[in-house]
Amino acid sequence: MDPQLLHQFMREGKMPNFAKLEAQGSFRPLTTSIPPQSPVAWSNLITGMNAGGHGIFDFIHRDPKTLALYFSASRVEGPKHAIHLGNWEIPLGGGSAEQLRKGTAFWQILDQHGIPNTIFRIPSNFPPVSAKGNTLSGMGTPDLRGTYGTFSFYTDDPTAAAGSVEGGQIIPVQVENSRVMANLIGPDNSFRKGSPAALEAFSVAVDPVESAAKITVQDYQFVLREGEWSDWVRVEFQLVPFFGNVKGMCRFYLKQAHPRFQLYVSPMNIDPASPALPISTPASYSRFLTDEAGEFHSQGIAEDTKALSDGVLDDNEYLQQSRTVLAEHRRIFDAEFPKFKQGVFFFYFSSLDLNSHMFWRLMDSKHPEYDATLAAQNGSAIESFYEQMDQVLGEVLPRLDDQTTLLVLSDHGFAPYNRSFNLNTWLMNQGYIKMKSAASANSSEPFANVDWTQSRAYGLGLNGLYINLRGRESNGIVEPGMAAANLMAEIRTKLLAVRDDKTKLPVITRIDLASEAYQGPYAREGPDLLVGYNRGYRAGWQTILGAFPADELEDNANPWSGDHCMDYTLVPGVLLSNRKIAAGAPALTDIAPTILAEFGIAKAQGMIGESVFQRSKATH
Amino acid sequence: MGSLGVNVPAIIVLGISIVIGLVMVVVFRYASDQKAIHVAKNHLKAHLLALRLFQDQIPVVMRSYGRIMLATGHYLRLAFKPLLFVIVPMTFLIVQLDRYLGSAPVPTGQPFLMTVHMPDSNALNDVSLSLPDGMTTTAPAVHVPSENQVVWRVVAERSGRYVVNVQASDQIFSKQVVVGSGLSRLSPARLRGQLWERFFVSAEPALPQNKLIDAIDVQYPDRSVAFAGFESLLCSLSGCRFSFQEYLGN
Repeated sequence: MDPQLLHQFMREGKMPNFAKLEAQGSFRPLTTSIPPQSPVAWSNLITGMNAGGHGIFDFIHRDPKTLALYFSASRVEGPKHAIHLGNWEIPLGGGSAEQLRKGTAFWQILDQHGIPNTIFRIPSNFPPVSAKGNTLSGMGTPDLRGTYGTFSFYTDDPTAAAGSVEGGQIIPVQVENSRVMANLIGPDNSFRKGSPAALEAFSVAVDPVESAAKITVQDYQFVLREGEWSDWVRVEFQLVPFFGNVKGMCRFYLKQAHPRFQLYVSPMNIDPASPALPISTPASYSRFLTDEAGEFHSQGIAEDTKALSDGVLDDNEYLQQSRTVLAEHRRIFDAEFPKFKQGVFFFYFSSLDLNSHMFWRLMDSKHPEYDATLAAQNGSAIESFYEQMDQVLGEVLPRLDDQTTLLVLSDHGFAPYNRSFNLNTWLMNQGYIKMKSAASANSSEPFANVDWTQSRAYGLGLNGLYINLRGRESNGIVEPGMAAANLMAEIRTKLLAVRDDKTKLPVITRIDLASEAYQGPYAREGPDLLVGYNRGYRAGWQTILGAFPADELEDNANPWSGDHCMDYTLVPGVLLSNRKIAAGAPALTDIAPTILAEFGIAKAQGMIGESVFQRSKATH
Repeated sequence: MGSLGVNVPAIIVLGISIVIGLVMVVVFRYASDQKAIHVAKNHLKAHLLALRLFQDQIPVVMRSYGRIMLATGHYLRLAFKPLLFVIVPMTFLIVQLDRYLGSAPVPTGQPFLMTVHMPDSNALNDVSLSLPDGMTTTAPAVHVPSENQVVWRVVAERSGRYVVNVQASDQIFSKQVVVGSGLSRLSPARLRGQLWERFFVSAEPALPQNKLIDAIDVQYPDRSVAFAGFESLLCSLSGCRFSFQEYLGN
């Protein structure tokens, strides 16, 4: 939720309940994290510390010794040792899912003081930390394949490029005798040599004339018309015959029956009724929610933004899927919130975040991907999701008593993402990165062909810039201390001077030194410089993963058109409360101390914020 | 679930299991050779004891293992005879219980599939569905030549016991569909011929023998009869049987 948009919609009378809440209490911009990325921001909120304390600096981290990239929030691993028997591998021990965020979550502190709590889908909490209350993991929860969401798209269209795309797989099929035989793709089977993906066959009988089909998955059959979504379909993947099964669930969308067959299958979600990985505390809570409110997306980023970006789903199809996600969340909210009597009830709605990413281009005529025709259809998509949030607030407000404190907040705001800045290309052009040969910069592999013995800095992640430091990176050449500090100052000055010839605007408005921005035991584990982009700019898609596109600056042609991974001062979140907020500049790191203070609990060691209701913060 | 959150099907399963368990114990008592079973049990115990006493003498241990295998086979053979007396009524009972507890009626407002199976794929276009008031199709019929079937997706607005008509050539074939909640005697399929299969899956008269339609299916949702972790009727039945057997000393 963005404060500027919220103000605008409130002024236009579209958010009456938010206006009522502001009138009753307060509405402040909420200072977000450095960098303003969701895993970092929510970790700030959860722990009351910044990245130096919780160790989450970006969506993507790297091993400094190997420069291998990994997701920052969690690590899911199969068993480390196994006995090999032909094509089978007998694992010695189980796999593991490890939460990489450090620090104590505020609800764990509440648990220690006997305060009941329910924490629904808070991001950066997979696998959920041990807790006495009911928690369900949110953003960061993988699909059954261990990815952040991999769709499958089955088609007989010969022009479709078969293989992996950014967020899924295009799978060629043949329609023979009005029938399609294909496989659903499950998790890697670590019981088989080489860990191939577990597959489960399914069939589609397409009516020879009508635009409808019967789909058979295991012993379940259903009929879909063209342009129709299925309900959730449970799938059991057999890893070891008769013994080892894992359960997932997915939804089907028959995009086209004739003349070309096109079937989208959503990422295979962990079945919350029988989760293959830990997604809730207690473990039975996810099953309870299913019984109570029906099936729901367990995957952390439930909206399939990649399918829209890859052109597999169009705007309307994506919106249908996104509205289903919100409907599921509202169903669970309606079932769970009335039970709240005391303690803390936290509920996360993802719709504003993901849809602001995807539909900014239809709201902003200056965006390079703005299309007046599409805007006429879905230009108000973001607004309609804001209005739905207002409806939710309308359900909450009448149930509050004088003793209950309500906080409505977002972890960041939003801004247009019009132009991409390819940081690594810029570093290469400026001579900070040297390639092994002049023509070797075109690979899409992370840092392929980089000559590390001559490279002094590199960009990684959405806002990170690292110095190739001797003693930290395996081929580090920059001496720590003065040499590194001078290099950082030099790069910082040059980056702040970068102007976009097309817009004449500065591309970067702020660069923070990690040594100044972060406090805590992990402060030195992240990037050395945090690059804060101007509104309208962001790190390019390829540079994030260590690639070197040709141009330093280019238009963002992706439907992912709004963003917040910029200068953190430009994209604050929102904080509203039914009580007067005393703090003049409340920050995400204040939220955990605020919640604890409401129960008379002192903030934990390492927490850097204060209660937003305390007068002292107002002077900051 | 009943109105007070009581799992009625699970209670029915438990109640029937208790009664059947008692009956089976009585049948077992009178239909089995109790004296021979007693002797077989004693032989088993003796060989197990030999294993314990002579565990340092490999030949004795090996011989005892062999005798335990033989004695176990003998015991199972003695126990099999009374099973012959109960297997037919038990199968009949399970089939009848499955009519009520295996599936649940189609919920109102929730789509379900009706499938007509035909002997000839060339006749698929000649079949049509006639729905009673309160039922509508929500998708075009899907013709599946490779499986000789036509599938309709149907939804019912109200609870009730409906009769759906299928027309093939000039003939009308009817199929019962139960919509709502609670316990009802359900027939997932109406079949032509196939006496043995009809016994297990159908609770309706056979379809006419005119070779126009082989079967008409209704996709009823599975019913969950979860009770203390046991979902299987057989688990409950056998659990009760062995409990009583232990108590009565058979």
